[in-house]
Amino acid sequence: MRLRHWSSAALLLLLIGTGAAAVQALQSGAESPVSLPNQDGSLKFSVLGDFGTGEQVQYQLAEQMAKLHERFKYDLVVLVGDNLYGAERPQDFQKKFEIPYKPLLDAGVKFYASLGNHDAREQRFYKLFNMEGKLYYTFTPKPNVRFFALDSTYPEPEQIRWLEKELAASSNDWKIVFFHHPLYSSGETHGSDLRLRAVIEPLFLKYNVIRPQRPRPYLRARQAAEGDRVLCRWVGGPVAGGQHRPGVRHYGEGIRYRSGVHGR
Amino acid sequence: MAETFLELEEKSSHEDQSPFAGSRTGLLSLVAAILLALSACARSDKQPPSPPATSESPSSAPATERVVGPLSPADAQALATMNDRLKQYVDLHRKIERSLPKLPKEATPRQIDQNQRGLEKLMRKARATAKPGDIFTPEARPVIQRLLATVFGGPDGKQLKASIMDEAQAAPSAAKLIVNSRYPDSVPLTTVPPQVLQTLPRLTEDLEYRFIGDSLILLDVHAHVIADFIADVVP
Repeated sequence: MRLRHWSSAALLLLLIGTGAAAVQALQSGAESPVSLPNQDGSLKFSVLGDFGTGEQVQYQLAEQMAKLHERFKYDLVVLVGDNLYGAERPQDFQKKFEIPYKPLLDAGVKFYASLGNHDAREQRFYKLFNMEGKLYYTFTPKPNVRFFALDSTYPEPEQIRWLEKELAASSNDWKIVFFHHPLYSSGETHGSDLRLRAVIEPLFLKYNVIRPQRPRPYLRARQAAEGDRVLCRWVGGPVAGGQHRPGVRHYGEGIRYRSGVHGR
Repeated sequence: MAETFLELEEKSSHEDQSPFAGSRTGLLSLVAAILLALSACARSDKQPPSPPATSESPSSAPATERVVGPLSPADAQALATMNDRLKQYVDLHRKIERSLPKLPKEATPRQIDQNQRGLEKLMRKARATAKPGDIFTPEARPVIQRLLATVFGGPDGKQLKASIMDEAQAAPSAAKLIVNSRYPDSVPLTTVPPQVLQTLPRLTEDLEYRFIGDSLILLDVHAHVIADFIADVVP
């Protein structure tokens, strides 16, 4: 066993929610920005979900994301679904994705999507979502980091088998699985997906996976480690005295599954 | 606190081993993986076989296994009639799909839209006389209903129904289902829990089981068309 400071880890996760509360928090001047560990050579990425409305609040948040990117060069954004709400005509792809994120796309930031229940399945062919026609897939942005995108709206046995095979074959230091439905959430509307958790969490425990939590303004993710699940806070934006505060700035957290590790 | 967060890291034994790390075992694993991948590719173009009679139930099976059961020989025969209709549908779908420009894996929104709407138009035209029961045959319907009733009647049934109905309030058109109509753009797809998918016959990737209200629909996800449905399957 050895100790590791998360602040010096080779990977940084930045979770960005959407909705009015997130934008108000991003624009608020009441709280000074927290310095993010910005280590050279680290992989920095954002997680974005429930965003494709084409409404003003999405544009405001996209603007903040672009501003942040000017001083914190995250390499990629993983999309955790509900990428386009409602109609998905060509003009909707522009209004709900290409226009708001143009500064990031122009800066070379790549977006990797997973699909939510509001997303048409053809999104997997959309070149800017980098899914290569697949509903679930894997990619390796750096040699020691591997991402796995799942289709949690339709978790057939064949997909679960694929996930286990890919996790078992992966020798990457960082295995990060992302998908639409939260395994843990205190959200009042949707909450934790217990049926999905029962199926895939054992694989996360077995293969030491990181699971980014989908951010929501009302989400209060679990604070403490429970058994083999360690809640990790990657950067310090929302945290004051160890507590989450409503209306957070930029923050990141995930659940890291560590076989044989208890406590934090 | 976040920047001083510490983790006790224990390097597990499997992280120390590459699965293909220069050993005979590794080589065999690689060969096996290639063979599996090739066989998977070969299977992907075929209609999955109809499920055989079995006394097994999915409740005791791991999530990686599909167990359509328990099925009597008569049940299996009934599902075989559905499988035959599925094969006919998939053959038609693929024939029409081949007549359209091939959609690249990195497509523009315009290419995606044109391809999808073109397929929808041709599929609906080709099945202009389609009606409920054309695919979910009268023989197969009670079997599907019983399989689902078993899952929903189990100890997790309430949670499974809650998962499916999570955003059902956003589906006001549930009572107006029409076979061969376009799936409404304004209605989000229902999430289908793994425990439900595990007990239903496997489909090709062009087709999915979804729910609208209490109805199980067979959705052509590429054409956005409701290929068939069974009403009142969620107790």
